[in-house]
Amino acid sequence: MKYLQEVWGSRELLFNLTSREVRGKYKRTIFGQLWSLANPLALMLVYTLVFGLLFRIKPLAGDPSGLDVFALWLLCGLLPWTFFANVISTGSGSLVENANLIQKVSFSRVVLPLSSVGSSAYNWAFEMAVLLIAISIAGGFVLPWIPLIIVAMLLLAVFASGVGLMLSISNVYFRDTQYLLSILLQFWMYLCPIIYPLTLVATQSKKTGGIAGTPITVMNIYELNPMVHFITLFRQLIYDNRWPDGVEWIICLCWALAALAVGLFVFQRNERNLAEAL
Amino acid sequence: MSDVAVQVDHVTKSFRMYHERNQSLKSAIMRGRTSVHEDFLALKDVSFDVPSGSTFGLIGSNGSGKSTLLKCLANIYYPNQGSITHHGRIAAMLEVGSGFHQELSGRENIFLNGSILGMSRKEVTRKFDEIVDFSGVEQFIDQPVKNYSSGMYVRLGFAIAINVDPDILIVDEVLAVGDAQFQEKCFRKFSDFKADGKTVILVSHSMGTVESMCDHAAWLDRGTLRVVGESKSTIAAYLQSLPADKQ
Repeated sequence: MKYLQEVWGSRELLFNLTSREVRGKYKRTIFGQLWSLANPLALMLVYTLVFGLLFRIKPLAGDPSGLDVFALWLLCGLLPWTFFANVISTGSGSLVENANLIQKVSFSRVVLPLSSVGSSAYNWAFEMAVLLIAISIAGGFVLPWIPLIIVAMLLLAVFASGVGLMLSISNVYFRDTQYLLSILLQFWMYLCPIIYPLTLVATQSKKTGGIAGTPITVMNIYELNPMVHFITLFRQLIYDNRWPDGVEWIICLCWALAALAVGLFVFQRNERNLAEAL
Repeated sequence: MSDVAVQVDHVTKSFRMYHERNQSLKSAIMRGRTSVHEDFLALKDVSFDVPSGSTFGLIGSNGSGKSTLLKCLANIYYPNQGSITHHGRIAAMLEVGSGFHQELSGRENIFLNGSILGMSRKEVTRKFDEIVDFSGVEQFIDQPVKNYSSGMYVRLGFAIAINVDPDILIVDEVLAVGDAQFQEKCFRKFSDFKADGKTVILVSHSMGTVESMCDHAAWLDRGTLRVVGESKSTIAAYLQSLPADKQ
């Protein structure tokens, strides 16, 4: 509890470090903040061409929104994913990058990984706002869902913070973490229903039945991935404009709280040694 | 306010000296361990009190543990044994300008650095003019700091750090920066500090500085405390231990 108070006490520093990253990032570029949209748009273009037009992946039309646009459907899953991937890849490097600061100044170190959550969240909020406008233009009725979308975004941010905190510590002791992570993230992305619909996995799973005679199906294992639930949540809220299953909310909440608790615990135990270990 | 500002109580600090440092997963798994090391004692059972309102100097040759002790005082390292008790707000100036963002302007960096050093936004706003005035970079305050000369950079960093307004200020060999005029300004600031009843702990290799500024001093020799007390007698003892040609 005392630790949480300390973290809360340094919120102003957290804000300043976040704005350092946000403002420093696109300095001296002509397009500035617009660059943060470039990456998701490029990914959207590539995936829509390859999977929407070539492979002809046909997700079900939004129910009840009636939307049937592959690019928008894709973005509902892609944007939360890129946020998550950004947080944990920048977060994991945050302590090592600021080694000099850690060795010279005493402050609550937890703000370093958290500030990379903050700056990624800033970009993400910007991207999501553009997506919501695009969905509204395409005919989705997304306005009343905005409060719930924000709640879901907060849950994912909490989950990502927890994972980021753990990885930032692990990267101090094992510098391999950041390289391993970039490979792991590629696998992880294809293990999430981002460019293919969840129903595809469900159908295959039903066909196969239990694995090796056990009642455990492929779907059961697939659903162990927390990001599956987060992406389902976002897609149902934004694309389908539907109240997601209560169970999905609870699963996401549990993952978020568990990740944060473990992350803070690991971080707090190692925080004092950081200046020496770096 | 008690009359002891900092109490250093039987502090021992050891570092691991790695013969093999394997910071990779492969070696950790293959050998079941991350490293082979032995402990190096940087500080051995050091105890002393820093009286509040004093200017306290730490002297000793290179590698005697002064900087380690300073980092322990500044809560950057934590002692393996013993404890350090502070009475009052502490600020450390181990390096000036750490945490500056190169692309941001001097103005933005004042707010950023101030908050890293533990000042609230309100405090920085209140002291903003004083900081700018002290650093002497008014003209360039809206320029990115990467365009600053090294002197301007250090002066700005120093100006922020000294305006944190702590009860106890910890200073590593940072006074050797800036031109004579700026150093003069710094010394005046330190005496103001002292006049306000605040404590300064500093490390310096210049015996002249220590003698003129400090009323108390401690002499560290390879991790052990040799002499602590009035600065004059401590310095005399230290100088006497040096080979004659170095004096």
